[in-house]
Amino acid sequence: MKKNYTQASRRRDRLAELLIRICGLFVIVAVVWILVMITRVALPLFYSPKATSIASISLPVELKQSRLLSIGIDETQQELFSLDGKGLVHFIDTRGGTLKESVPVPDPPPGARTVVSAELVSKSLYNLLWDTGVVSSVKIAFSSTRSESGNTIVSHEVSADPEGFFPGSGAFKRSFVRTIEGKGAVRVDQLESDRIRVTWRSKETDLFGNEKATTSSSEIQDPLPAAITAVVLDHAGHYLYAGTRNGQLMRWDISEPGEIRLLDSTAVTGNSPVTALNLVLGDISVAVGDGKGGYTAWFPVTAAGSGEGKQLVRTHVLRPHTGTVSAILPSPRDKSLVSVNDQGVIHIDHVTSERNLLTLKGAKPVAMLALSAQGNSLCSLDTAGNFAVWRLEIPHPEVSLGTLFGKVWYEGYDRPEYVWQSSAANDDFEPKMSLVPLIFGTLKATAFAMLFAVPLALLGALYTSQFMAPRLKSRIKPAVEIMAAIPSVVVGFLAGLWLAPLIDKVVLAFFLSFIIIPVMLLVTIFFWRLIKTASPLERRLRGKEFIVLIPIVLVGTWLAYLLGGIVEVQVFGGDFKQWLYSVLGIRYDQRNSMIIAVALGFAVIPLIFTIAEDALSNVPRNLTAASLALGASRWQTAWRVVLPSALPGVFSAVMIGFGRAVGETMIVLMATGNTPIMSGSIFNGLRSLSANIAVEIPEASLNGSLYRVLFLSAVLLFIFTFIINTVAEALRQRFRRKYGRY
Amino acid sequence: MTVPTHNPASPILTVKDLDLFYGAKQALKKINISMQRNQVTAFIGPSGCGKSTLLRCFNRMNDLIDNVRVEGSISFEDQEIYAASTDVITLRRRIGMVFQQSNPFPKSIYENIVYGLRIAGVNDKSLLDETVERSLRSAAIWDEVKDRLHDSALGLSGGQAQRICIARAIAVNPEIILMDEPCSALDPISTLKIEELIDELKRKYTIIIVTHNMQQAARVSDVTGFFYLGELIEAGPTRKIFTNPEKTQTEDYITGRFG
Amino acid sequence: MKQYWKTGEPLVMLTGAALAVILVMTLTLVGVVLTNGLGYFWPSHLVRLELKDGSTALGQIMKREKNPLTGEHRLQLKVSNRDLYGQDFRWIDEKDVTGRSLPKDALLLERREHGNFAGFLSGLSVDGLKVDQATSPLEKLKLARAAIEERQPHLDNIRKKMMTLNQQAESMRLKLLKLEYRNREQHAAEIARLTATREQVLAEFNVLNGQATTAQAEIGGFTAQFKDVSGGAKDIPLVDIMRILAPNDMSIPAKMLAYASRVKELLLDEPRESNTEGGLFPAIFGTVMMVLVMSFFSLPFGVIAAIYLREYARDGLMTRMVRIAVNNLAGVPSIVYGVFGLGFFVYGIGGSIDAIFFPERLPTPTFGTGGILWSSLTLALLTVPVVIVATEESLASIPRGLREGSLALGATKFQTLTRVLLPMATPGIMTGLILSMARAVGEVAPLMVVGVVKLAPSLPFDTTFPFFHMDRKFMHLGFHIYDVGFQSPNVEAAKPMVYITTLLLLGIVIVASSMAIYFRTRMRKRYTSSHF
Repeated sequence: MKKNYTQASRRRDRLAELLIRICGLFVIVAVVWILVMITRVALPLFYSPKATSIASISLPVELKQSRLLSIGIDETQQELFSLDGKGLVHFIDTRGGTLKESVPVPDPPPGARTVVSAELVSKSLYNLLWDTGVVSSVKIAFSSTRSESGNTIVSHEVSADPEGFFPGSGAFKRSFVRTIEGKGAVRVDQLESDRIRVTWRSKETDLFGNEKATTSSSEIQDPLPAAITAVVLDHAGHYLYAGTRNGQLMRWDISEPGEIRLLDSTAVTGNSPVTALNLVLGDISVAVGDGKGGYTAWFPVTAAGSGEGKQLVRTHVLRPHTGTVSAILPSPRDKSLVSVNDQGVIHIDHVTSERNLLTLKGAKPVAMLALSAQGNSLCSLDTAGNFAVWRLEIPHPEVSLGTLFGKVWYEGYDRPEYVWQSSAANDDFEPKMSLVPLIFGTLKATAFAMLFAVPLALLGALYTSQFMAPRLKSRIKPAVEIMAAIPSVVVGFLAGLWLAPLIDKVVLAFFLSFIIIPVMLLVTIFFWRLIKTASPLERRLRGKEFIVLIPIVLVGTWLAYLLGGIVEVQVFGGDFKQWLYSVLGIRYDQRNSMIIAVALGFAVIPLIFTIAEDALSNVPRNLTAASLALGASRWQTAWRVVLPSALPGVFSAVMIGFGRAVGETMIVLMATGNTPIMSGSIFNGLRSLSANIAVEIPEASLNGSLYRVLFLSAVLLFIFTFIINTVAEALRQRFRRKYGRY
Repeated sequence: MTVPTHNPASPILTVKDLDLFYGAKQALKKINISMQRNQVTAFIGPSGCGKSTLLRCFNRMNDLIDNVRVEGSISFEDQEIYAASTDVITLRRRIGMVFQQSNPFPKSIYENIVYGLRIAGVNDKSLLDETVERSLRSAAIWDEVKDRLHDSALGLSGGQAQRICIARAIAVNPEIILMDEPCSALDPISTLKIEELIDELKRKYTIIIVTHNMQQAARVSDVTGFFYLGELIEAGPTRKIFTNPEKTQTEDYITGRFG
Repeated sequence: MKQYWKTGEPLVMLTGAALAVILVMTLTLVGVVLTNGLGYFWPSHLVRLELKDGSTALGQIMKREKNPLTGEHRLQLKVSNRDLYGQDFRWIDEKDVTGRSLPKDALLLERREHGNFAGFLSGLSVDGLKVDQATSPLEKLKLARAAIEERQPHLDNIRKKMMTLNQQAESMRLKLLKLEYRNREQHAAEIARLTATREQVLAEFNVLNGQATTAQAEIGGFTAQFKDVSGGAKDIPLVDIMRILAPNDMSIPAKMLAYASRVKELLLDEPRESNTEGGLFPAIFGTVMMVLVMSFFSLPFGVIAAIYLREYARDGLMTRMVRIAVNNLAGVPSIVYGVFGLGFFVYGIGGSIDAIFFPERLPTPTFGTGGILWSSLTLALLTVPVVIVATEESLASIPRGLREGSLALGATKFQTLTRVLLPMATPGIMTGLILSMARAVGEVAPLMVVGVVKLAPSLPFDTTFPFFHMDRKFMHLGFHIYDVGFQSPNVEAAKPMVYITTLLLLGIVIVASSMAIYFRTRMRKRYTSSHF
């Protein structure tokens, strides 16, 4: 023998063994890796937000004496600015705390010398109220560019916004100006006397293109319950909110020039003064902070039984502060709020999810707060004249276990609900990501499909394994296996574009067939007994009974079709769906749960059938022989001997079918309208977890909240099917061990 | 227990105090026996007595089963079979085996015979041809198959297939051939042929055969060992075992009182 | 009777009925696909209907159905002429029909745009084409069409050249990008040279483009005038006409020929009219290539894993875990694989490849976006359990004696495996492979996430280096069904195409799985009935 060759083949053997073992291991690694991978993407949803302190600097000496009105910060935490009463914007380097440049506000109104107050209107636009009573607007913007060497260079720009100019005279506590696109502007002044005056300037263009401006003004006449402590006006200039010392929140509609309508006057804090008031991004919710630290959000809701009118309702309670809430600042990016109390404790909360995202503690009470335009830098100026700058990392403020699985009260809704609506056309839209309607849809689709599939598949399997002639069985089984290979996209297509319109036309016939076909079968069974006496026919058909039944099923379907037409005309006035809607108030969707039941059921039948049939066939023949020899009929044998023995296998078949139905995507995608509604009606559509992933993931931006939530739903699907499959496999293994056959 | 041997100088296989466990169950208990060159040794005993297990120890086929633990020693000439340094592959080339069920590979007769050579790296056509003819002649089946060497071995009858398997075992020129109930699945005529073949083969090879057919043991073997419940009850020259056994258990078995 | 119930015989019938229902459902599905898919290509008669209101309609009758309320029938007429009528189909109540006829000279034109045209030939503007030997106007039209067809290769040639130039320019652009990214100064000379060559190529491209435009305009000048049934005139350039049929004047063999030519078009041509007409070639090619690349990964891995389970693993915790893993790989919903593929292959590995090898192209992704490689890998993971289970089953069916026989002759485990077991398990492995391919052909959900598109500009395989373009997106039959059936603007007009695609896909899957099942049955028979 060749020694070298033997040596070589021995080496090869060892190498192969190693490789093969690695490969085997790799299977486990692959499965675990899939889970780890998708979980890793989903997990950051639940990471706690982070605030990194970037700088803590004191006010440059040049500014120590200035009266500061407002501050701001750039995206990269490199530069901040402060606006003083002389109308100078001072840009300060956060790294050294040095004053870089002081820029005067361009085009100050003639005669005006000092700025009384500054109000942040939107991202970088400020309303300045001058000592003459004139309001002007200024834009203080940062922009950053990447240099050749990779550093970020921040530049700033201060520009006037002539649109925001609104003349006026007198002394005011605060003034707000809102320009209304193409229509003019509205100005709200809080007078020294605490009264509120609204001034409208409307611009009209006549047929010849000449502009005509009219100005009108009126004061709020409604009696105020107490002194006004906070005022806020929305961006569109439609609604004006004011909080009072005794805790009332008032809301006026000022959208029509010359008309001021009081909409609400609600006690919001329980007698404690409203100390901070601001609108959440989107201008629907208003956040209220009170003197005792209470911190809530309100928006108008159609009150039960009150008809058209909407009332402010407390929709969210945020984590309370320990002392008076002194300021609330909305995030320019989402429904988050930054708030601070009189001790300098800063809270960052998300209104909708009611999550307290961050709590930052400063040493001194905070005088001013600012967020950058993208909301990821936070800057505070304390009463001692120290700036603190943080970088915020809050990737998914709107997601929490509560919003994913609980009811959430979204803006515009009348009550807390489970909603899935991930995107819409407008910018300040809030994604609503509750997984509950999707889980409900998944389970509903699965339940209906199983209801349809399990009896058919199991009875069919019982027949095939126990009663069918062996020669026929060897043909039918492969046929069902081929049926299992029919791609789900084909089933889905037919369900959506063939079956759904068909059933749409013959809904009644569809229901009637569930009665007529069994009745026809009963009749056949009755006559079968008469045929049985004609022994040659009976013998020839033994094990092939189902062939006789195929025409019966077809005839039954046809009869149901005929009867359906008649019943629809006679009983339901010719249109069953119309009747359904007008009498029972049930809406009929063309792609509804019945279609899903049939289509998804059709897809899982072969799977359940094959596994159940295997289990039933694997019950040793000698068991059945023993039973038959004792004089049991073939049904008694199948029912009392075979079925109990094969029960674990049959059960695992159902489980595996269930797992498949839960995860099936294309059929559900194509055969339903994909509406994420929670309705138990069989006439409505649904949206399942898996179809939802397929629909939404092409739109989801990498590592965004939606992207991660979709990964989370994939994790849920994985874990769910993992459990089902493992249990089913364990059952099947036990069954195999019991009968020792593979 | 020691076994009287014809030539005490050189037993080819010696088993000493062999215990074998399947997990917790002991299948062989303190086995001591030795086999002589160019003799046929038969192991007899009722089903499940451990005779096949012992046979499978000689070429370490038991390695294929999980949870097998072997204690004691089996030496093949001077080599300890269960030593860590023993190369199983070389061992199996020197100790061939024929199984209860004939197991020709789904290849041609020719390829079946040369399989052992090919896996050892022999590809010389003339050497292979020569080995095929020699082995088939030794297995007394050359005349039956010489015209269809390249037909599938699966088409052969049970007896022929078993002799092909014997020829296949011979082809690698082993020193010992283990036969595990080689005739149990065969008809009497085929059985007779195999028995004649065994008689023929023992001139060149040492043969150890497991059988539950006492007549067969009596007909073909020189030495017989009787196993019962994992123990070697008695071993000695076949004639003595069958005519004048020392142990009553042996006698009971041989005379058909049990088993 | 009571006795009869007691024996349970009626219940046996009940189980039989369940099976009957399953079979009826399956047959219905296949029947629906067959009837809807096969008929579409058949050039059926163009019927002229005269209606009560005095108008006429010309078209092919697609359906006749009964109104359950009134008991009257109505006809669905495919009137074509989308550009004239705005829709392809029309419902006509039978009671409104006063007369039917089959005008012999009615023509059905298949056009490059706007679907079919049904009407009559009224004139030709083909001065300069050799059509003198024709006797009838129709023949003249056909000859003119053929003459134009002859000029087509010239145009095609120019287009092909343009495409090559375009690709050259693009690859040069990418090279330039790379050089600039690395270091502008260092490669200045190279950059200048490349830029110059590229300019040259682009200039050449523009010249060709001009030629193509003139050639096209020249061909486009030849038109034919048609009238629809109500006399509306339509001038159609001959180039736009794909096929001219006069279904009312065709013999059965002629119709069969026309049918065959349309099947050929289906299999070998590009799609037209946002996939609702024309061929399926790119989708077929994409599907086949994706399945082949997938098998390249799943087959070896699946077979080796099965060998591990059956031949090497001891029956312990580890084996049980591997088995659970395999079962779960098989049971995890396919969309989860898609999500995994997106997160791991596309953004994970693909993103890293882009960052390392193609940083100059960023943010335009090369591998960091869906593509055929990632799709194949995702599906490989999805189908590997099928291969594992089939291989394991076939290894298990090999009698133990053969392994022992081989080992007893001194073979190593690996030799036993390669020389005895694997050859015997081949049919089983083939079964697994075919089943996995059938599964992959029909699987759509994960592909939607990792790289399938409705219209791929180029095939993932072509004659430019490196031939296989694994980063390209591709088309897929299954996705084609979903996309055309559910995402097209005109679903009713797209339906026939979807049925045909479905028929094709269903055909492939059924043939493949029948083959697999046949292999398996044969293998089972061989080992169980032979005498081991």
